[in-house]
Amino acid sequence: MKKSRTNPGGANFVPEVKNNLGSPAENENQLLGLLEHDIMKQGTSRRDFLKVFGYSFASAALLASCKRPVQKALPYIIQPPEITPGKSLYYASSFYDGHEYSSILVKTRDGRPIKIEGNLLSEFNREGTTARVQASVLSLYDDARLKNPSAENKQTTWDNIDAQIINKLKEINSKNGEIVLLTSSILSPSTIRLINEFGADFHKFKWVQYDAISYSAILEANSICFGKEAIPDYHFRNADLVVSVYADFIGTWISPAHFIQDYVSRRKLDKGEKTMLRHIHYESGMSLTGANADIRKKIKPSEEKNLLIDLYNRIAEKTGAITFPSANFREDLTGLADKLIEAKGKSIVISGTNNLDIQIIVNGINSLLGNYTNCIDLNNNIKVASGIDSKMEDLISELKEGSVKALIMYNVNPVYDYHDSENFRKGIKNTEISINMTVSLNETVGLVKYECPVNHYLESWDDAEIISGQLSLSQPCINPIFNTRSFQDSLLKWSGSSTNYHDYLTSNWEKQYFPGSGISDFRNFWNTSLGNGVFNYKVPGFKSLTHKPERLSQAMKTLEKSETGGYEIVISESVALGTGMHANNPWLMELPDPVSRQCWENVAAISISDATIWGVQNGDIVKFSNGLKLPVFVQSGQMEGTISVALGYGHTNSGPVCFRIGENLYPFVKSSAGNRNYVITIEKPINTFEKRQLALTQVHSSMEGRPIVRETSLNKYIIDPSSGNEFHKEFESTHKTLYPEVKYDGFHWGLAIDLNACIGCNSCVIACQAENNIPVVGKAEVIKRRIMHWIKIDRYYSDTPDDPKVYFQPLACQHCDNAPCENVCPVSATNHSSEGLNQMTYNRCVGTKYCINNCPYKVRRFNWYRYTNSKNFDFNTASDLGKMVLNPDVTVRERGVVEKCSFCVQRIQEKKLQAKLENRTLNDNEIKTACMQACPAGAIVFGNLNDKKSMVSKLFSDPRCYHLLEELHTLPNTGYLTKVRNDDKIDS
Amino acid sequence: MRNFFSVRKLKFILPFIFLSGLFTSGYSNLVQVEDSVLNLKKKLTPEDLIIGERLFFGLVYHDNKSIKCITCHNITLSDTLNWNPDAIEISRKYLNKSTGDLSKVLLRPAGKKMVEVHKDFKLSPEEIVMIKGYMDRLAIQGLIRNKPVITNLIFFIIASALMLFSIIDLIITKVLKHKWINYIILLSSVCFITYTLVGSAIAIGRSQNYSPDQPIKFSHAVHAGQNQTDCIYCHSFAPYSKSAGIPGENVCMNCHLLVRNGTRSGAFEIYKIISAYENKKPIEWVKVHNLPDHVFFSHAQHVGAGGLKCQECHGNVKEMNVIIQVKDLSMGWCLDCHRTRKVNFTGNKFYSDYKELAEKIKNGTLDSVTVEMIGGRECMKCHY
Repeated sequence: MKKSRTNPGGANFVPEVKNNLGSPAENENQLLGLLEHDIMKQGTSRRDFLKVFGYSFASAALLASCKRPVQKALPYIIQPPEITPGKSLYYASSFYDGHEYSSILVKTRDGRPIKIEGNLLSEFNREGTTARVQASVLSLYDDARLKNPSAENKQTTWDNIDAQIINKLKEINSKNGEIVLLTSSILSPSTIRLINEFGADFHKFKWVQYDAISYSAILEANSICFGKEAIPDYHFRNADLVVSVYADFIGTWISPAHFIQDYVSRRKLDKGEKTMLRHIHYESGMSLTGANADIRKKIKPSEEKNLLIDLYNRIAEKTGAITFPSANFREDLTGLADKLIEAKGKSIVISGTNNLDIQIIVNGINSLLGNYTNCIDLNNNIKVASGIDSKMEDLISELKEGSVKALIMYNVNPVYDYHDSENFRKGIKNTEISINMTVSLNETVGLVKYECPVNHYLESWDDAEIISGQLSLSQPCINPIFNTRSFQDSLLKWSGSSTNYHDYLTSNWEKQYFPGSGISDFRNFWNTSLGNGVFNYKVPGFKSLTHKPERLSQAMKTLEKSETGGYEIVISESVALGTGMHANNPWLMELPDPVSRQCWENVAAISISDATIWGVQNGDIVKFSNGLKLPVFVQSGQMEGTISVALGYGHTNSGPVCFRIGENLYPFVKSSAGNRNYVITIEKPINTFEKRQLALTQVHSSMEGRPIVRETSLNKYIIDPSSGNEFHKEFESTHKTLYPEVKYDGFHWGLAIDLNACIGCNSCVIACQAENNIPVVGKAEVIKRRIMHWIKIDRYYSDTPDDPKVYFQPLACQHCDNAPCENVCPVSATNHSSEGLNQMTYNRCVGTKYCINNCPYKVRRFNWYRYTNSKNFDFNTASDLGKMVLNPDVTVRERGVVEKCSFCVQRIQEKKLQAKLENRTLNDNEIKTACMQACPAGAIVFGNLNDKKSMVSKLFSDPRCYHLLEELHTLPNTGYLTKVRNDDKIDS
Repeated sequence: MRNFFSVRKLKFILPFIFLSGLFTSGYSNLVQVEDSVLNLKKKLTPEDLIIGERLFFGLVYHDNKSIKCITCHNITLSDTLNWNPDAIEISRKYLNKSTGDLSKVLLRPAGKKMVEVHKDFKLSPEEIVMIKGYMDRLAIQGLIRNKPVITNLIFFIIASALMLFSIIDLIITKVLKHKWINYIILLSSVCFITYTLVGSAIAIGRSQNYSPDQPIKFSHAVHAGQNQTDCIYCHSFAPYSKSAGIPGENVCMNCHLLVRNGTRSGAFEIYKIISAYENKKPIEWVKVHNLPDHVFFSHAQHVGAGGLKCQECHGNVKEMNVIIQVKDLSMGWCLDCHRTRKVNFTGNKFYSDYKELAEKIKNGTLDSVTVEMIGGRECMKCHY
């Protein structure tokens, strides 16, 4: 091709974002060094090899006379009618870990949960789930779970511990001592009722809710402005323009699975839509939301208030409201204000900063724009977080004084994730009794008198009301694996009640929700709700909330001075680990950050120009003035003068996987003006001249001018839907082949990925890992580029390295009809099926890796080691407990074989068989690959290309559809749809 | 789950097997009774135990008549015809019971059949003690069976030795004047070794004619043959699940709640299932038909959708007292069938998606569609 390969969509692809990774040669040398070192370590000499070879040669004659291993088959004593050996059973349930909520279906096989899917019946998250929800099934089989109750660090029985606790509580109560219950935010109406009943028995009882990541400022701001302490539901589907400042609502903020649904529904163009939501994002570090924004602008945290006040004033000027005195923001915001006014009532302005003043100003802006009720719904508020920072601060001071006599904790880990953990730790010692109830080992465990381990959520009964009127139920899908008891059962026991929580729950539902359900029989109502997993009811009496602007002037007054010379560290959740609660989950530990593509530790992301000033490169360890030492990661798009670091790492007592991996940033969080502030101001850090290899899963960020991700803008798309995709026609017209074209009779499977819908959240990666028994390989192997994920989300940058455009592209095996891998396999272990699948046969593979070398997409993975039952890979597949999560329909691969995406052939076969048994044709959308099912954005569509009415066929014939590296004529069965950016000039 | 032949283990096990195989072949099975056992029954000398054994085997005569326990109660585990409880089972049952209990059953049995057989038994209490002693030893130690002779290995070693001799002779010693003798030895040894190796390598993991002992003498011939119980009554998941399923004990109890005496085995075998059910203990059946872990096989596909009869793969189970693996379950065997078997192409609506094949059937260019034609011989139909 002589034609220059600039993107027809208009973006200029820079050759490479340099400085990002050190020089390629250097990386290569490091890699070689590592590999050599690895071989040296192995210790398998030629002599050893000959020994083994000799033995195995002689053994062949012997083997025939050896006795075969005897396999036992144990039937049930009484066969449960619902369980069919070899068939999956799904239970509707709810996931809630105190931070994130999803209504889910749990796939169980022979009595053990093995996979989580979204619940289509739920209005909140539908079939979408996030990576953390997908991975939660593995935490059920975590060896670091607490297995028995213990008193003063000695194992004991429940009867024993109950007697002691009941006595103590009675004693404290008789002396009018204060009893405090400290929990994570509670969604469950039945549990709230139970807690209130429990507390009523005592003279002095206080219930404090505490969130690891605080949304206190939003709650308080809404309380001040509207008289309702709540987090509103943001209806992105009703919005035309979203301006978000530091709010990573796609990755971590409030409820990503819920927001992604709404957000993407206004970004998709697959049904001929001509409009798109426009998204403008202000932030310092490169978050997942920022990477997806149409227009992303870099600011410093100290500039945020200035920006918002200025924006408020600009809008107020135009709408005739009162303006406030302010310094102007460094950019002219008139254009933005105009756009917002244009989208009046159809826009959302949000801020992710936990600062009361800022949230009051944001509320002010939204109410000027009339966004409430249509786009921001305070009546149907999201209840995911309800912790108020000042209440926790009060509790700490009470603990310090010693006025709290009994402290009962449930699902919290303040020793790890509260900034003032030192005082909390001391405070526990001041109490007469302290009780901790948690699922698995964490930093708070061992500091209290009584450990009462609770069930995993897949072992418990519960309910949840995420939005007023949207109820869901949790039900146990497996008997408690260990000697644990649910939190609610413990409370019931300690309050002297003889009922269990299941009965309590059903009787509460019978009283509360059954009368309004319109169903005559309660058992019927209960079973229907339990089967659906969700139950919606009408909440009576909405008050129209009016905005009270009284506090605005005060909020505008205290202007922060932007500091000069110093650096600002922005601390945020990471997409993989969230608050760090699930850090001992190896799937999440190895899940790369969607933007930096780095895993297994947290790093200090700095801008390219700062890296030049400091003279550091990726992996150089720097020391900050507050004592924090972190390796540097040079992040394109990072605001100069800011540093971004993820939370959730640096555990000291949460299990072996996360033990001392990365640094814990929670202790550096400061409390300012009554709220926890996730920004630290520091001096320029010192280079320690130590270096560490970072576990990067993608080292190349540029498309090298090739049209890998094709892009256009909305205006161009409306004129010509195939804009940006001109190459497709050209390649199609020039394709010639010597081989006869293969026709597929029956089925021809295809997968379409809408790059406009894909937001790069990594949910599909974990879903695939869970479905296909993909091993975790550990940091050292990831550094050697040996990560095993069958689907990865490639991230590319274009434009300037300082302020790049970001592209996400999910990449799994393309299932080429002219597959280059198939031609080179000497043993025909990889070949093509009559349904268009590129088949991989593990038991035939001899591990030449020719296919890996010949695959232009680099999607094949090699099992360098045996990752099962290995001490060197001490993750979930090393223990019997962890292995319970394995999918019995997928082979666990041996050392020395190649593996890759199979289009979830086990699911194809299962559904085909079902159709055969039911004597019917296969329906479109019936077969869902794991990635497709998990995708909260609905970006992935799988189906039969031979069926012209199928969704995937429609997408394949869309003018936006193209194939990756289609110039190679590999004829992939995976199609991509052009990305459309709504970034036409803001003031045009 | 089981790394039965991991390379690392073989490294240690194989030399041991070699040595033990070579040096212990002539070693007689002289059983040393454990001291602890004898301590418990101090009255019994080793001679008493031998007398007990002889009594059991009917080698001691009373009035020119011998009582042979062995006639009905086999001590070998495998047995297809003898429905009476075997010696080991009885021994285990009576291990923790007193000699009085045993003598009560021996001399004054309750069962109809037993009364008939045991009626002429005249055994002194001492003799019963001795029999009990022998049986206790049996229960604790189990059977000591002779190791199978490894003929293959012996020939293999001889062939290797001959080969080594010929090579040395050809190059160094040159004892044999006619070189062609050496060549013949070499050629035939190499042929034999290769044949043995290839043959045994192919046989690894296959187990045609595998017929293990089961914890209960369950006869398919009685249940499926004589009583004509449908296969699906017990293996009820076969038409719609991957696994055919082994019936839960509650399924057995559907009939055995009433049927407590078998025509052949009496109450002893049936009692096992009743007691397991009542004590809530699962029965540890030995799995006969095993496929490797990398094979996905679905009964639903074959029985439910394909309409195959159980007998086509499992043989004539109706005539089997002890179940035996009839087919070798090799991949070649699977593929042979997939090559020729016809699918219900016109009868099942699922296949209407195969438009070209349907067209051909309509035209008459094809009269039937085999499994192979719809991709039944492709790797990812069974391996994923």
